[in-house]
Amino acid sequence: MKYWINIYRAHLKIGTAIMFQYRFAVLIWAVWGFVGPLLGLAVWSAASSSHGGNITGPQGATFTDRDFAAYFLVFMIVSHLTMSWDAFEFAFRVRDGNLSPRLLKPIHPIHGDLATNLAFKFVTSTMLLPIWALLFYFLKPSLPPPNWTQLLAIPAILIALVLRYIWQYSLALIAFWTTRVEAINQFYFTLDGFLAGRIAPLALLPGWLGVVATYSPFRSMGYFPVELILGRVPSDQILSGFLFQVFWLVVGVGVFRLMWAGGIKQYSAVGA
Amino acid sequence: MAEQPHVLVRDLVKTYRVHEREAGAGASFRSLFKRKYKEVEAVKGVSFQLMPGEVVGFLGPNGAGKTTTLKMLSGLLYPTSGEARVLGFEPWKREAAYLRQLSYVLGNRSQLAWDIPAMDSYLVNQAIYEIPEKQFRETLDELVALLDLEKLLKKPVRGLSLGERMKCELAASLLHRPQVLFLDEPTLGVDVTMQNRIRQFVAEHNRRYNATVLLTSHYMADVTALCKRVIVIHHGKLLYDGDLAALSEKFAPFKQVRLDLQDMASAERAKEFGEVHSQEGTKVTLRLPREKTSSVVARLLAELPVIDLTVEDPAIEEVIDQVFQGVEA
Repeated sequence: MKYWINIYRAHLKIGTAIMFQYRFAVLIWAVWGFVGPLLGLAVWSAASSSHGGNITGPQGATFTDRDFAAYFLVFMIVSHLTMSWDAFEFAFRVRDGNLSPRLLKPIHPIHGDLATNLAFKFVTSTMLLPIWALLFYFLKPSLPPPNWTQLLAIPAILIALVLRYIWQYSLALIAFWTTRVEAINQFYFTLDGFLAGRIAPLALLPGWLGVVATYSPFRSMGYFPVELILGRVPSDQILSGFLFQVFWLVVGVGVFRLMWAGGIKQYSAVGA
Repeated sequence: MAEQPHVLVRDLVKTYRVHEREAGAGASFRSLFKRKYKEVEAVKGVSFQLMPGEVVGFLGPNGAGKTTTLKMLSGLLYPTSGEARVLGFEPWKREAAYLRQLSYVLGNRSQLAWDIPAMDSYLVNQAIYEIPEKQFRETLDELVALLDLEKLLKKPVRGLSLGERMKCELAASLLHRPQVLFLDEPTLGVDVTMQNRIRQFVAEHNRRYNATVLLTSHYMADVTALCKRVIVIHHGKLLYDGDLAALSEKFAPFKQVRLDLQDMASAERAKEFGEVHSQEGTKVTLRLPREKTSSVVARLLAELPVIDLTVEDPAIEEVIDQVFQGVEA
């Protein structure tokens, strides 16, 4: 355990140092994360106004203007805390051979990458905190009164972070077989955005789409913790929400291990 | 008990399957439906072994199979067939216990984080390799002194010159005191002074820790300065494995005699004594068969107005060139 603490501490230090080297670029990337949710908020607020101030989903979930504000602001933060971009970086490394020095280390490259991801979130969250506070102040979201179920959002966000990370890293491993992975990545990110609730709260999705979204792993990567914070998960569905998260995490780890074993063989078969 | 080799390679083969197509849009379109593949045999049954503490030069022209062999030995490549053991491990299983005792310096790849000082990357290596603080400081001090790193450690790596970066890379590779060191063109692109520094440093590391070193380099000075033994590989096959000095005798059975003569007429006459290797005015270099060298030299001294005469082995570059030309022929 001490070994892993040391490893992550060392990686977090250099990850943070790198982030500070490029603080403006990092801040721009972080602020870019506002665009999607704020756009969603604008569109749904307009739609809600034209429907008499609220919109009701097929299962009866209702969202007012201020509910949408709460949803998209909380989604913005959860999304920031769980985001990952390794699929793109990994493909570059495979293509230009820079994966090789990492494979010579007696530790899996995922640890260094995950630590860098955490460093990004640490640095940018500190920068974004005042901006988030201002947005909450001006948009006046309707948040539920504090309650114990909101505390469950902390483990839910942690699982979502690891879940999204392992799934994206598995996707990144496709680069072992084809180095032109941009189209696949783009398709995945579109699915992720749609089924994790970036475009609309899943409760508003129509019929079969809502069912697909409910059972897909993307719900567990973002939407579930957001629902917990907003108090929109019925208490008898909290446990199943966590079980879904754990299930998709186990599947993700399994897929990752299989793909890594096969990918490394492939990488070293064609010339590392 | 007899000492076990650090590196043992037996009939190692690596064949790549390479996608092949003609240039042009038509060929590109056809390759969408029908792909042609070609088998490229990069390494064809190479065998050798290295004992603990040996420093061995691994020589061959571009595309000979040197880097492919090193990549198999460091676990980056799976072989097509054959066997290899390094420190008792099968390299391509990439066990952590093996990788902890190994370093593979790739001249054209960096293990250092680009945007921050090298020292930060060293601290990550300290954590990864679990180097105790005292040992880390001692090794680092040695490396700083030997490679003159003091001023470099605080600069971001991207701001270093190629030679400076190479020194920092070497230090990063040696902090954990590896038992086996694969050096692939470690002096690539660095100036002569820096090359000397790096050579001294590798020799010192080998002496202090009895590390086994396998070195490839296009600079023969690296090989002559560090290696008593060389392994020569060409077209994936092993051509020679033995003493560097004996390589000359085997593949270049001649000596070079450098003559400085008094006049041009004598220089012209000198050509009758052997094959002319080069001539610059009254300075003539002859190639003579080894067994005849002493008698021809005696005749040269007796019959020509010689100002200066030296007898030497051909430069190792020429010997190697001779080896490869012999194979091509």
